[in-house]
Amino acid sequence: MEDSGSPILSTATVVVLLILFYGITLYVALRIRRKKENADAYMTAGNKVGFGVAAASMTATWIWASSLYASATSGYNYGISGPIHYGLWGALMILFIYPFGRRIRQIAPRAHTLAEIMRARHGSSSQLLLAGSNVVGSIMSLMTNFVAGGALIAMFSPLSFVHGVIAVATGVLLYTFWSGFRASALTDVMQVLAMLLLVGIIIPIIFFAAGFPEAFESGSANLSPEQGNFFSSEAFLNQGAPYIAAVLAYAIGNQTIAQRLFAVREDLIKKTFVTATVGYGAMVIGVGMLGVLALYLGVEPAGGDSNNLVPQMAAEYLPTALIALFLIIIIGALSSTADSDLSALSSIVMADIYGQNIAKRGRANPQTMLFVGRMTMVLATAAAVIVAGLQLDILDMLVLVGALWGALVFPVIASFYWQKVTNRAFVTAVLTALAVFLPVRFDWLPMETAFFAVMVDLLNAVGIGVILGLMAFGFFGLRAGQVTGVLATVISLPLTFGWMHEYTVLSASLVAYAVSTLVCIGMSVRSGASFDFSVISRRVGDFDERRSETDQDAPDDADADDRETAERS
Amino acid sequence: METILLTLYVLVWPVIVLAVMSLLVKGFVADWREARREGRTLL
Repeated sequence: MEDSGSPILSTATVVVLLILFYGITLYVALRIRRKKENADAYMTAGNKVGFGVAAASMTATWIWASSLYASATSGYNYGISGPIHYGLWGALMILFIYPFGRRIRQIAPRAHTLAEIMRARHGSSSQLLLAGSNVVGSIMSLMTNFVAGGALIAMFSPLSFVHGVIAVATGVLLYTFWSGFRASALTDVMQVLAMLLLVGIIIPIIFFAAGFPEAFESGSANLSPEQGNFFSSEAFLNQGAPYIAAVLAYAIGNQTIAQRLFAVREDLIKKTFVTATVGYGAMVIGVGMLGVLALYLGVEPAGGDSNNLVPQMAAEYLPTALIALFLIIIIGALSSTADSDLSALSSIVMADIYGQNIAKRGRANPQTMLFVGRMTMVLATAAAVIVAGLQLDILDMLVLVGALWGALVFPVIASFYWQKVTNRAFVTAVLTALAVFLPVRFDWLPMETAFFAVMVDLLNAVGIGVILGLMAFGFFGLRAGQVTGVLATVISLPLTFGWMHEYTVLSASLVAYAVSTLVCIGMSVRSGASFDFSVISRRVGDFDERRSETDQDAPDDADADDRETAERS
Repeated sequence: METILLTLYVLVWPVIVLAVMSLLVKGFVADWREARREGRTLL
């Protein structure tokens, strides 16, 4: 986002707002601080968080500054259906993980991370593959939020981008540092309630102040026929379809959602996920409507950057007091995601790297774990601030990571249900999918050669079948998943053949899904392995309680194939 | 007619947002009361 000219608020006003926002958040976080913090509570708050906190925290975590801007951009570019094609699929991202989430909690009720379960299921190579992708994704998300904060503060005040980045990073680190996930979840409640209240007020105010509903008639000439069509195929193909492909990948690859899945009380999972789905969808689609209004009004984004649309609409039609509150909404949105990223990162390093690979299970010292978690937060914040200062194209990097996660989706989900999946099948499937993903994503293949174009289009159809099949499987069971997967592949093949390979971002993601699925099934179906899922709950548990226990149920570094062989015999 | 539908389409989202907010407030108060009743912290 670029500086659009004279600042809207003074330096003093913005500094006071930031001090008030982060000061109150820090105060709330310190209210729950314990003199002797518990390592498990630091990661998942003891797996018994109630509905109000869990649903608010999940909603807040999923809403970030970029989603608000991107939804408005989608409304501006694709017209009245644009915000739906951004917000609806983003919301369904939360809902689609729910059936898998129930299964995950059933087999590992006291887990902290998905990667931790992968170790109990397969071994350390699968665990580190998943944990590594989670770490990369969380650091990128953290950077993006700091960049968005810096750009926003630079636009609204005379302060520089670097000042903004440092202010946001310091504020988030301060209140998350001591209590980890507990602080993140509690402050999420405060942040999301403020966001929801203000969005509920701001949209109608801008709507009427900008001259709507009359402007729907006077400004209709500003829309192309596609932009005015609620069932626009252009909006679906350019915005909705690539997003659907990313739905399951983000839900599986992003530890922030998994962390809340492990934190909420097991009987409240459904209620929490459904509420967060509706809350996220309404909020993001609602803010996206500002882009639609801007389109009707013929607004040109400042500096040609569509990320300026939301701040522009706010600055144009809101009184100064509400502009200040609007600034705080966006700061709250990006802070709630950034603190979740910090908590997620610290959990992965605490549980997956220190707890299970440096110290052996049962011998991990909870106090050392806490130290490791806190140092992770400090180092991650410093790294994110430095990289944010480089102002790289983070959005492209996020799209890349999101697509990379596509390679993990089938092997991870299959590992929770299918006894035959082996460690070798998991690792080979993911690495093969990555090896095929990269040349497709970066146009290294000569697509003018019919062989490559045909192969990619074939895999695209399989990828569509895998995604829809997994969604149907989650909600309706194995048979429905298989039928949906096969039907979706057969139906989409003639529809996508000959052109889909030209959409490299979408193709690369679909190819990753397809290849990982085919390799995983191909290697597992003949494996003869029969994993007993009941052992996972014994292998994955609390670190604090296990400190004094023997590790009889938790084979430290048992190789997956050895375990599977032992179980078969 | 189209104007009315578009108005409803834009303004329905803030209504849903406020409904979710009230649900979350209700849920949070219930969590807080339960924690107090059991003599523990909220998180």
